[in-house]
Amino acid sequence: MTDLILQALFSGVLIGSVYALVALGLALAFGAMRIINLAHGELVLLAAYMAYLVESRTGLDPYAAIPLALVVVVGLSYVLFQLVDRIREHRELNSLILTFAVGIILTNAILLVFASDVRSTSSPFLQDALSIGPVYGMNGEIIAFCVSLVLMGMLWWWLKKSWYGRAVRAVSSNRNAATLMGINPRRIETVSFLVAGALASFAGIALYTMSVIQPSVGHALTVKAFIVTVLAGVGSIPGVFLGAILLGVTEALTVTLASSALQELAGMVLFLLVLFFLPNGLFGARARRG
Amino acid sequence: MIRNPFAPAGRALALAASLSLAAAPAAFAQDATEITIGAHMPQTGTLARSGQAFTEGMQVALKMCNAASPKFKVKINVIDDESTPAKAVSAVEKLASDGAVAIIGGYGSNIVGPASDASDKLGKVYITAGAVSDELTARGLKTFFRINNNAGYERGIATLISDLKPKSVSILASTKEAPTLLAEGLEKDLKAKGIEVTIHKFDPAITDFKPIINKVKLQDKPDIIMMSAYENDYVGILRAAKVLKPQVKLMVGAWSLATPKMYTEFPDLMNNVVGTSFLPFPVEVKDAEGQKFAELYKQAYNKEIEYLSTLGFVETIVLCEAVVRAAEAGTLSKGGLAAEMRKTDRQTMLGRIQFNDVGDNPNFSLSMGQHRDGKIVLVSPKANATGDIVYPGLPW
Repeated sequence: MTDLILQALFSGVLIGSVYALVALGLALAFGAMRIINLAHGELVLLAAYMAYLVESRTGLDPYAAIPLALVVVVGLSYVLFQLVDRIREHRELNSLILTFAVGIILTNAILLVFASDVRSTSSPFLQDALSIGPVYGMNGEIIAFCVSLVLMGMLWWWLKKSWYGRAVRAVSSNRNAATLMGINPRRIETVSFLVAGALASFAGIALYTMSVIQPSVGHALTVKAFIVTVLAGVGSIPGVFLGAILLGVTEALTVTLASSALQELAGMVLFLLVLFFLPNGLFGARARRG
Repeated sequence: MIRNPFAPAGRALALAASLSLAAAPAAFAQDATEITIGAHMPQTGTLARSGQAFTEGMQVALKMCNAASPKFKVKINVIDDESTPAKAVSAVEKLASDGAVAIIGGYGSNIVGPASDASDKLGKVYITAGAVSDELTARGLKTFFRINNNAGYERGIATLISDLKPKSVSILASTKEAPTLLAEGLEKDLKAKGIEVTIHKFDPAITDFKPIINKVKLQDKPDIIMMSAYENDYVGILRAAKVLKPQVKLMVGAWSLATPKMYTEFPDLMNNVVGTSFLPFPVEVKDAEGQKFAELYKQAYNKEIEYLSTLGFVETIVLCEAVVRAAEAGTLSKGGLAAEMRKTDRQTMLGRIQFNDVGDNPNFSLSMGQHRDGKIVLVSPKANATGDIVYPGLPW
């Protein structure tokens, strides 16, 4: 039983790190603009297909697709921001509808271009097993975990230490006050969307290296990212990471200790419990209390 | 296309009386020229891959059917049901109102169920090759027909596993309807033969199968792992198994696994894996109809025929022939199509097709194919085998 639980914890941490990577971009845009980008999962998926494209056409490692994914996904994020920025009334509600529609368009565009087949990396190295004591993971998962940690650290540093990062937090906190302090909110929001697009690019490539992709999974990714964002609480980058790990571990332990059929249900129950007892999220509440 | 001007009458009972008077001459005109069959197939959404393959097979079947009966030109009007039941029902209603004489159904029992109910209410014959739930035939609809069923898949897999005489089998089953049904049927079959069976049902949204495989490895310790699932699940399960390397002798799956496409996409995961099949690969089609289908399919899509496209082909050719027979007999617009469907008794690439009282094909049974270095060898049942099974045989 100990081996089972250890493997569940390890698998939960690994899958949780990818949930975190997927959720980071959504959390950033949500924190900065109070906009839930319902096309975020599709942006992640698009990056994953860029990895597939590069790997299948050139035989290179999927991570070699980073430049291409950045150009495509960040470019698309910019276009998406331009669309959202044109909304003049009820921006929070109308942006939901707009980004949802963009998500549908992206899903169908991916379907048209890449067909509906199941895709995943063919790299033997990324699929090879790595054992750490009694627990096992794939090289692709370990690399994705490391990428997630590094990006999380970089984003945290950027938000805490850089001028742009502080400006993002200022706009997020009080848009009018930030404007009075000489910050251009529109520029800051543009930067947030572009950074969210860059994060989606890395998330997509990591996803491709350790899981399977199909045109229809974008929506599920958005839902997962949304759950993690709410679990974490708005504005907490470490919270996103810990919330995602908590979700991953809860799901994996449910499979091990109860039934694999209950995995998704366990995640949703966790989500509801946090909403019920800590409406500001696990870390949003703590920050407010602090 | 000449359409029956009274076809939208299905929407309004008030037009029923006038339709009965007007339909005969209109139908005669239609029979003499073009006949439209409707189809709802998932071209987008989670089932798009299956729907697209079905549609390709349907188009080739139509070409062959029309070539065989020059007196009639049968057309297919395909609507994307977006892999959702509600859209499928709307599609059936739209197709019927556009004059379709029959409907070819989509993929998935949860979609085919309501869609065929809607078709029955409109009095349209409905045929499917993509829904295996027993509940569909238990309804006793007089307009419902299907060429494959859960019993056929169950028979094929149970025969293979029984012949291998394992002590225990672990079944990983998606909680979707068809995989669950298959898993539960197999559990019953195999337990009756003295084989220990453990089922692990999993949510279709799962992507990391290592915790489940680890349970199987450390607790069940089976001889065989059976996967009752879909393509994306197979990849996840096999990848997790490759990492954890449970001490099993064989990995067996159901539909859409023993296909050339799966080997092409995931060669490192597929070798020695077994799944349901009806043709070896490279394709060796023995009958003339199958050879013609393979030839035309290659011309049209530049690839070999496969499992799903063949299902689409067979259901369409069976329906198209019945439509032509009914048109020739002048009964197409008088409810004669269902009767013609019941007269069906022909050999196909899937074996003999007949329909019983509830529209099911009692002859349906599949062979089991094993991936072998890019080829697929039929290994069970012995009567259809093209080679011996590699057992124990694993991809790692």
